[in-house]
Parts: sequence; structure tokens; C-alpha cells
Amino acid sequence: MIKQDETIKHFVNLAKSDFSQVEENLSKIIFELQHSQNKGLNYIESFDEQLVLKQLENLRNSNKKGKLFGVPITVKDAIVVKDLESKAGSRILAGYKPQFDATVIKKAREEGAIILAKTTQDEFGFGTFSTNTIKVPKNPFDQNRSCGGSSGGSGGFTAYTSAYHLSIGESTGGSIACPASYCGVNGLTPTYGLVSRNGLIDYANSLDKIGAIGRNTFDSELLLNVISGKDEMDSTNLGINYAVDDYDLDALDLNELNKDVNKIAVIKDFYEFCDQDVKKVFDKQIEKLREFVEVEEVSLPLNVKYALSAYYIIATSEASTNLAKLSGLRYGIQEDVDGLHFDDYFSLVRSANFSDEAKRRIILGTFARMSGFRDAYYLKSLKVRTKLINEFKSAFKNYDLLLNPTMSTVAPRFDEIEKLTPIQNYAMDLCTVPANLAGLPHLSSPIGFSQDMPVGLMTVANHLEEKKLTAFGKLIEMIN
Amino acid sequence: MENEETKVMIGLEIHAYLDTKSKLFCSCPTNVNESKPNSLCCPVCLGHPGSKPVLNEKAVELGTKVGLALNCKINQDFFFSRKTYFYPDMSANYQITQYEIPLAGKGFVELGDKKITIRRAHLEIDPAALIHPSGMGQSNYVLIDYNRSGLPLIEIVTEPDLTTPDEAREFLITLENILSYLLVLKPETTLKADCNISINGGNRVEIKNISGFANAKKALTYEIKRQINETKLGKTIEQHTRAYNQETNTTIPLRKKETEEDYGYIFDPDLVKVNLTDEYLNKIKSSMPELPKEKIVRFIKEYNLSEYDAKVLCSDFELSNLFETIVKKGASPKITNQILTREFLSILNHDSLNFNQVKINETDIFDLVKLIESEKVSDKNVKESMINYISGDKTSPKSYLEKNNLLVDTTIDLDSIVISVIDANPKAKEDYKNGNEKTLNFLAGQIMRQTKGSAQIDKVLEKLKEKIN
Ligand SMILES: [Zn+2]
Repeated sequence: MIKQDETIKHFVNLAKSDFSQVEENLSKIIFELQHSQNKGLNYIESFDEQLVLKQLENLRNSNKKGKLFGVPITVKDAIVVKDLESKAGSRILAGYKPQFDATVIKKAREEGAIILAKTTQDEFGFGTFSTNTIKVPKNPFDQNRSCGGSSGGSGGFTAYTSAYHLSIGESTGGSIACPASYCGVNGLTPTYGLVSRNGLIDYANSLDKIGAIGRNTFDSELLLNVISGKDEMDSTNLGINYAVDDYDLDALDLNELNKDVNKIAVIKDFYEFCDQDVKKVFDKQIEKLREFVEVEEVSLPLNVKYALSAYYIIATSEASTNLAKLSGLRYGIQEDVDGLHFDDYFSLVRSANFSDEAKRRIILGTFARMSGFRDAYYLKSLKVRTKLINEFKSAFKNYDLLLNPTMSTVAPRFDEIEKLTPIQNYAMDLCTVPANLAGLPHLSSPIGFSQDMPVGLMTVANHLEEKKLTAFGKLIEMIN
Repeated sequence: MENEETKVMIGLEIHAYLDTKSKLFCSCPTNVNESKPNSLCCPVCLGHPGSKPVLNEKAVELGTKVGLALNCKINQDFFFSRKTYFYPDMSANYQITQYEIPLAGKGFVELGDKKITIRRAHLEIDPAALIHPSGMGQSNYVLIDYNRSGLPLIEIVTEPDLTTPDEAREFLITLENILSYLLVLKPETTLKADCNISINGGNRVEIKNISGFANAKKALTYEIKRQINETKLGKTIEQHTRAYNQETNTTIPLRKKETEEDYGYIFDPDLVKVNLTDEYLNKIKSSMPELPKEKIVRFIKEYNLSEYDAKVLCSDFELSNLFETIVKKGASPKITNQILTREFLSILNHDSLNFNQVKINETDIFDLVKLIESEKVSDKNVKESMINYISGDKTSPKSYLEKNNLLVDTTIDLDSIVISVIDANPKAKEDYKNGNEKTLNFLAGQIMRQTKGSAQIDKVLEKLKEKIN
């Protein structure tokens, strides 16, 4: 059960009339942030206290009291913030201070948010556990375990801090849902194109979706409301804003809220892939939900079989072109150029500063789009993607929402992760990749614990049906 | 060619700058020539992480016009691709261009009776400019100017239908003329051509980035000779890329040519498919300006010009416009045409000048035509005043003629001068009557002297014959 005073809305209402609330909350979160850094929890990639205090002063003198007035917001490192080092978790971008704010940052600032810090992530989003980077975030529930990835720092810090706070994450193949699940917080990934990607350091442009991480659906949807909408700087932007309705938690009518959610289905193939203990927590939740809605089972055989392959081919093909620009020439890290021809210099910089995983994905992607293989891999994957979207679309003819455990396991221990082969590692994304490949909105809600670690439930809706998703997410939160 | 049996196939890839206010995928201005290096750039054209391209619709409009003017099939659904290669002038190390489906598909350009097939025309971004401070290959560093990065280019690709360097040059001139009629070319830019050439069905050699049509012809002429000589020596021509060296008038090998497929093209996922509606396309079709071919037909019909004269006038957009402006002011089309196509162009040819290198004013020419119409100026003085106008002190022909007393004084009574000269030279008169034609020239000379050369010689001769008989 979520209480009114736990919500960001509650905090903003107080803050609007009492600025000391903003100051207190900010001091508290800065203290916790520094504490987490000192303890080596590694949620934060860059933090500049001066930039934060400047925002506080601007806010104090501002007449406009927006929807996120005084709310500290952390941002996945891949989303650029003007003057704040933004490097998508990669050494190759060390020292890069962007000249502009990403559109989502601009929108959040306009509503009075304080951009607090950049959060740690797998380098360029390449990973499931935020271990493919230098600063590896540690799960607040067990420091020997992963926060998930790739928005690991966002998930971890949201769970860690006791202050009012929101985090902007980004998902390519599940990078919001996964850390939300592992860290027991709420992760809302919108339809592809709902939120502008302008200012996002790309992983795979046709898959990347900026979304919201919060303590509950009410908070996440508020953030989505602020950051979604028209942006002429991103050609793939849909120009649609996610609207929020005002609410009173004490008088919330869950049936009315879920009037459009009549029939839902568990995706059997994904469910079966999961560990027993995860299934147990999931089953219990489904039983509770049956009181409110009809729950059936559905199978998505094509997605089970092909989604991961198509996803990794498309994602790495795009990524390998995106990363081409990172060559130590105009920004980021620079090496000694003396006596080197430009292509030797590029090779030197890239060899020395990309991680093994980044190199692996560049090689895979370059291979998939090169002459002789392009038709069989890259172009074929695009065709497969259309088929997989259609499989989802036919399921949505019968069901309003599709459900599965977000991750097949609870957050794994770092020593377990080390033993995974790349292929086993990629397979961990099975439950989250299909919806991401199809550009479908999805929500990961915490539904309980197994081995003292959080378990998440992932709800997938049809394109642009975020409303059904958030209504259902609130239902889960209110009945638990 | 020298060797009649040599079968030459030439194909061209022409790059032209489109005349837009902002770059192809960002809002940076395009006035590169009057700007400091690296002053016209932003995160998008510098390839900064997080920046996203947004298509400039004006470039699509101009590109569509080019496609239509080259008789191409316009692809109403098209998209952009990333062509990946590492080079310091390419800010993202990939070029946004078009691959599978270009804006304009198959078309043709008429060259006399021959049709040169256009394979495609597509939009793409220009790379940055590399500046070699002590010359190409001589500098141990290069400077990069990103002002050019992201400028909109249209690339026009022909089939290898051209068979001689002259024909290639003629094609380039014709193409440039068509583009100038469309008003799509960025002023003060020139077309750049990559020339593909093969002889006797051999491998294709590409000569990169030739500026200027005369250079294209020279490079091709050299390359044909080179390939013939190589073949004679029993060598096989390998497919590769060469550069033209203007100073030595030779081509030099650059690199083994990559095939297009080697660039690992993917659809640019930052951009969306473009759909040109029927309505949009029809609007552009109906706004297409008159093209050279149509203008020639109209000039013949409307101004009663010979086909040859109409073609000469219309071979230059500005010249044809100048002609029409003068005629519309009320000048005789016939005389205006004579002044422009005979006098004016022959002076340009003589002085190796281009039309755009000289300043000529429609009123000045109009005034001159009017003087000729009222028979106030001799052919000789027309020429003299025009030469002075183009290459001399550039005073208008009319002022020049006035200042130098070269106008026919219509108050002079030519008849009485003729009679007085005949009367003063009775012997000459008799000689002429007895069949000595030369004496007529002697008498005419006397008359011309008395009129200070302002009389027209045809008229004088005519009057002399009339009065003696
Ligand atoms: Zn720009």
C-alpha cells in the first residue's frame, strides 16, 4: 500500500509553499549520495555540488513552481547534462562536458527539478548487470549482488535513498525494467518515440527509450508526464504527451482506474524460463490480481525463439556505427598523437579505451552489416522484428496487458556473473528484450522477495497504452 | 580517340551544393565563404554524442526539382542510410546519405540526339574541409574546418553512356545549365565530378573529385591514353581510384577501390522514412521553372529566332534572361540577339571570359540596340563600343559612341554629299561607268571621310550606284 506522503506529488505540494522542504530534502540526498560513494556502492558516476547549489539558488528565486518543484533527479550517465561530465559509463568519453542539455533534462528543469547527478551504467548500456564499466554499482539489499543493468546506478540509488527523488533511466533491451526488478523499485519504459531521445548517447537508436524510475507508479508516471511530448530535435519523436490525472490516494477507486483493463495474460514461454523461487512470488501476485481481473495464459513462440537474436543483431549493428564517432579527436579522452597517422591514432584510442564488451559488440555489429552478411543478418533481423511485433499485436487483440516475471532470477551475485559466458549473459534478457524490440511500453513493479532479494513483475501494454500500464501498476501497489 | 577501335565508357558522379539557408540535418547556416573557420557548427554537425539529425525539408524540395528536371522517377518513399568509414573530415565517422532508395531514380539528360541515362540522384551531407597548411602530403598535420560539415549535397550518377572526354564535358555543361535554370545551386560553388572510365570493357577506374569541366576533359583524355598504353604493354587495368593532378595534367593512383557494399550501410535509425505525398509532388511539378529545352522552343516561336541562335542564348540561364529583359523593354529581338550572340559572345571567347565574370547591364544593351534600330551607328562602331564596354573602360556603349562622335548625324544630308563627291571626281565616275568597279570604293571612301565614318557603308554604296546611273 502506497501512502500519500510517500509520493513526489506530496513533497512538491509542500515544497511549493515551504522552500525549507526543498533544502532539507536536498541536504539529505546529498549526504546519502556522498555516503554511498564513500561506502563504494558506486551508484553515482558524476556529481558536481556547485552545479547543484546553483540550481537550488535559481529555484529559490524562481516564481514558477512546476510539477517537479525542488525534486532532486538523478540521470543515467548516457543522457547528456550541460556542463556535467557525461560519458555513458565509458572511459573513451572521460572529461566530456556536453554543450547542451538533453531534451528530457530541459523539460525536467522547466518543471523545477534539480538535476543532482549522473548514475552509473554498463558502458553505453552494453550489459545486464552494470558490470561492464569501471564503477560497478552494488545492490542495496546485498552488496555482493548486482543492481542489474544497464541503468544500474539509477535503480540502486532509487532503492538506496530515503529522500524524495526520481531517476531518469534508459532502456534498449530492458535496461530500466531489469534494475527496477533487482532493486525493488518501479521502472516505467514508454512506447518508443514517446520521450525525445535528443541528448541520449545512443546505444541502438531504433530501440532506445528514455523512461522513469521511481519508488512507485505514481512517481514514475509524473516523471513520464514531464519528460514525454513533442520535440522537434528528435525525428523519431511521436509528438505525444503522457497526461496524468490528479488523484487522491485515500479516495482512489481501483476498479474505476482499471476500467480498461479487463483481460490480461501471462506470457507462458517467459514464465517457464524463470527460476522456481521467482515463479512462486509471481504466482502469489497473480492469485491476488485474479480478484480484480481475468488472468489467462498466452504463448509468444516466435518471440521466444527469435527475439534475442534479432535484438542483438539490430542493436549491435546500430551500436557499431554510433560508436564510430568516438575516436579521441574532438572530445573525450585523448592519447598522444605524435607521429601517428590518423587511422593508427583512431585504432590506438579505441583499443585502449573501449571495454571488451564494447569491442565485442562493435565486432558483432560490423560483421552483421558487412558485405556478404548484411542480407542474412542485418536486413533479415529487421524483417524478423516486424513479425515479432505482429505476434504481440495479435496477443493484444485478446488481452489488455501481458505479464511475466521481469527477470528470471533475483539479482545474481558478482561471482555468479563472472562465470557466465557472453551467450548465457545475453540470454538473461529473454523476458525483457521482446517488448523492447517491439517498442512496447512496459512497467516493472516490485511484488515481493525471494532469498531476501526483490522480485519484479513486468507488465507490457500495446503501443501508446501507457495508461493501462500505470493503472495496473497502481492496482498492484495498492493491493500489496 | 586516336585509336578508333578503342571503346570508351565514361560514367560521372556529380556533386552539387544545394542552395539552402541551413545545413541538411541541423540549423547551422550555410554561408561558409564569408565565415571564419569552425564558426558555423553545432553538436549535430560536429558529431557530438547525444545530438540528433533533423532533415531540412528545403533540401528535399530542391532535390525533388533536380530529379524532375533530369526526368527521373521520384521515389515518394525514401530514407537515409549511414555509410561508415573512418576519416578525420567525417565528424561521426559515418556519412548520412541514401543507399537502397534514393530520392530520384532513373532518368535522362538529352545531349543533342543522344540520351544520357541518369542512374539516380540522392541527398547526402558534405564532410568537413581538411586544410593542409603546407600542401597535400607535405604537412605533418592538417587543420579541420567543420563549417562545411553537413552542407546539403545532391549526388547525380550517370550510367557509363558517355564515350569521349568532349562528350563528358558537354554533359557537365548541359547539366550545370539545367541546374542553374532550377535556381537550386548554391551561388559561388562549382560542380565536382568523380569520373569512372573503362576501355574495351576492362575494369573501371575512378578519378576522384575533379573541379572544373575543362579539368574533367583533360583528366579523362590523359586517363584514356594511359589505359591504352598500359593495355598495349600487356598490362591489365585493375579497378582502383585515382586523383587528377592539375599541375602535371596526369592522374595518379590513390587506393584500391572499395565497393559500395563495403561501407556496411544501415538505415539511419535517427531519421524516419520520408513520404512525399501526391499533393506535395504535384505542387513541385507545377512550380517547376521553364527548362532550357522549353525555353529554346519558346524563343524560336515568340521571337522568331533561328534554332541555332535560340540554343546559344538558352545555353546560359543569365544570358537568356538578359535577352528577354531587353526585348521586353521594347528592343528588336533580332538586333538584341545579334548583339548578344555575335558581338558579346565573340568578345568573351576572344578574351577567354565567362559570362559571370563580366558585368553587363540590360539598359546599356537596350540603348545600344535602340541606336542600331534607328540606324545611328555603323557595325564597326557597334563592335568598337562593345569591346570597350566589356574589356575597356566599361563605359556604356551609348556614352562611348557619343563621347567619340561616332553616332551618325541624321541631320547630314547624305544625298548632297554623294552628289558633290561625284561631281568633284568626274574621271572616277567615267571609269566606273566603263566597268571599273574599284572606283566605286574610292568614291565611297571620300564620302566616309566627309561623314567622319558615321555613315553606313552599305547605304553609301547603294546611293553612289543610284546617283551615277
Ligand atoms: Zn550544425
